[in-house]
Amino acid sequence: MGKWFKSGSPWIWMTSGAVSVCLIAVLGLLLLIAWRGLSYFWPADIYQWEIEDQNNVRSTIIGEVYDREEVPVERLLSAGHTFDADVGDTVTRYLIKTGNREFVSLDFRWVMETDIISRSKPNDIAVIERSKNGDFYGYPVGIIEDGKRLTPDNIESAFAEHIERAVALNDKALDIQKGDIGTINYELENLRLKSRKYELNNALTESRKADIESQRAKLNAQYQIVEKEFFALKTEAGRDSVIIRDMRGEEVVLKLDTILDVTYANRLGILGKVGHWFIGIGKFVSDDPREANTEGGVFPAIFGTVFMVMLMAVIVTPFGVIAAIYLHEYAKKGPVTKMIRIAVINLAGVPSIVYGVFGLGFFVYMFGGSIDQLFYPEALPAPTFGSPGVIWSALTLAILTLPVVIVSTEEGLSRIPSSVRQGSLALGATKAETLWRIIIPMASPAIMTGLILAVARAAGEVAPLMLVGVVKLAPTLPIDMNFPFVHLERKFMHLGFHIYDVGFQSPNVEAARPLVYATSFLLVSVIVALNLTAIGVRNHLREKYRSLEH
Amino acid sequence: MISIDQSVMKTDMLDLENLSKEDTALEIRDLNLKYGDKQALFDVSMHIPKKKVTAFIGPSGCGKSTLLRCINRMNDLVDNCHTSGEILLHGQNIYDKKVDVAALRRNVGMVFQRPNPFPKSIYENVVYGLRLQGVNNRRDLDDAAERSLRGAAIWDEVKDRLHDNAFGLSGGQQQRLVIARAIAIEPEVLLLDEPTSALDPISTLTIEELITELKSKYTVVIVTHNMQQAARVSDQTAFMYMGELVEYADTNTIFTTPRKKKTEDYITGRYG
Repeated sequence: MGKWFKSGSPWIWMTSGAVSVCLIAVLGLLLLIAWRGLSYFWPADIYQWEIEDQNNVRSTIIGEVYDREEVPVERLLSAGHTFDADVGDTVTRYLIKTGNREFVSLDFRWVMETDIISRSKPNDIAVIERSKNGDFYGYPVGIIEDGKRLTPDNIESAFAEHIERAVALNDKALDIQKGDIGTINYELENLRLKSRKYELNNALTESRKADIESQRAKLNAQYQIVEKEFFALKTEAGRDSVIIRDMRGEEVVLKLDTILDVTYANRLGILGKVGHWFIGIGKFVSDDPREANTEGGVFPAIFGTVFMVMLMAVIVTPFGVIAAIYLHEYAKKGPVTKMIRIAVINLAGVPSIVYGVFGLGFFVYMFGGSIDQLFYPEALPAPTFGSPGVIWSALTLAILTLPVVIVSTEEGLSRIPSSVRQGSLALGATKAETLWRIIIPMASPAIMTGLILAVARAAGEVAPLMLVGVVKLAPTLPIDMNFPFVHLERKFMHLGFHIYDVGFQSPNVEAARPLVYATSFLLVSVIVALNLTAIGVRNHLREKYRSLEH
Repeated sequence: MISIDQSVMKTDMLDLENLSKEDTALEIRDLNLKYGDKQALFDVSMHIPKKKVTAFIGPSGCGKSTLLRCINRMNDLVDNCHTSGEILLHGQNIYDKKVDVAALRRNVGMVFQRPNPFPKSIYENVVYGLRLQGVNNRRDLDDAAERSLRGAAIWDEVKDRLHDNAFGLSGGQQQRLVIARAIAIEPEVLLLDEPTSALDPISTLTIEELITELKSKYTVVIVTHNMQQAARVSDQTAFMYMGELVEYADTNTIFTTPRKKKTEDYITGRYG
């Protein structure tokens, strides 16, 4: 035993054990959120249950099993539940998503196994995805086209055709709403600001007034036309309806303009399910959120996260690198420099919400408020830059991540062999020339390392953003087709905040839970993708500027 | 004592004490240098003749490298380093406040103990000094690169891979590349700080041959603690001990009939 200790093996076992624990923790975390998040998109089987509850009321439920748990009988008995027969120690309880939100009080429902009389898996059940009120489960019965009821032979293909038509019309209407109507509104607002600006400068002459009025009239006329087109499309999309027999056996008429898709989940083979799964993920990544973020996709949040992080990287890198160069190359080595360095390192330990408060006070109110007074007086009292926005978020996170960039850049600078510096100086280069031509390129892999750490930190930071720019739902992206195309003052959506919002602020917690996992997985994927890009760049730089290891 | 082949004995003996102005490349006058409280050079005075190879020898820590680094003011980079005395180049004291250090270093090139190429291509290494001076004309740079690489006896080995990374070269090749880089900006004086101490014997031989060729165009000052090397390549040798210049004379004289006891002890291997 003593020999074994002396041999050093326990030490090796201990160290490798620590590494294994870390690995298992990381892999476990990734696997869990990936599994729970990605399985959400898998088309589940739809069942029809006949149940008889405590009061001997029989009913039918159609839906999918969301969750199951074992409940001790004792607890149920003490809660006033009675059982006809001896059921053992525990009873299985299912959480069933029943959909059809407008006809039931809750679209999720717990059902005791003992209450279930029978369960079937009919092939005809359709899952109807809607833009309002969530999913609808039921049996397609007929179609109402232009007010006339049709009962086609092949009801499914007729269904699909009509839905396709309505979806195409809806898409067109949405394009008009986001494109043309958005642009006209934007121009009208600009016009209002222009006239207000003239007014403030006492330069609103009659001719200008008339000019603005004529432009406004022109835009309004345009708006009328576009609006008419929009409503025509909307009405056209809502022309038809479908008739569905729901779980109560009643026929329900659903207007087609809210229906997005229909699937017959029970009929799908494995390939069909895989296809659906991919389509589901694609929609999640590319669609806008609906229904208070509990349905639809998260595209604006992905876009906002990536855009804000990149903006932050663009701000933090030059600042951090320049500061590190001064500290390492020019500052006199002494107690003051040492103090500054310690202060910089300690900045990394300040709680992030404090940065948020600072960002709100300094950037948004002071800085943004001054910008508004100087450059946008015509918009006041409505703030332009004086309210939280993506630029302030990026700046706040840039300050938050500054220490990381400074520290790793300094590290990189100190690793450059002095022989190379001297070689450059001996050829008649000044210190600045040596820095530009030799030192900074050689330190660039270290700078990239700093940037990687900064991006990883910034992309996961939520708390400060809640104060300086993130919102639950941003109507527009920070980049669009209206001049000047990049709107840094706009608020934005963020994956991290989206997780918090969906998971804790949502009216429908059960529906939101899988979305929390899916969004978390997406956030991790986005950060990993950003980091891999940066690591790729760094490896390229390393190869380029590798120096001999003296 | 080291035997010197009589046939290569230098015949053009110079009077180092009373060197004429035309023959003097550098004049060092009463040079003292302190690192903080520790004095590293004591009253060093000497004339370094033009277009000759002058070697500094001596045991480790004797101040020979320090003296060499004074000549292009590389010691300025060391904190707490104080110099007094003068080094005259063209009659101008290089420690004068008016002197542009970068310009001085363009005139006094230096090659270090270990090869220190930049992480750039061979070509970019050679033309680095020229680019610093604002030369960007492709043809001028090409010409200069070829001339310098030929001058450093490495052209034939690298001419087909000028744009490869310089770290792909062997140690000896890198050292010749660094010499090419130094002579690309055509300095008057070339300082070599133990240029072969990190190299294998074959590379050392190549560099030594190169040094003998270089003196036709440049004044070469070399620090070495290999006495055979000093004997082989230099015209004058200065022996330093504990920060003092003990003896400075023609290489033959130093190695055959040293005047001082310390010099004799050192070159016969009694210490060092």
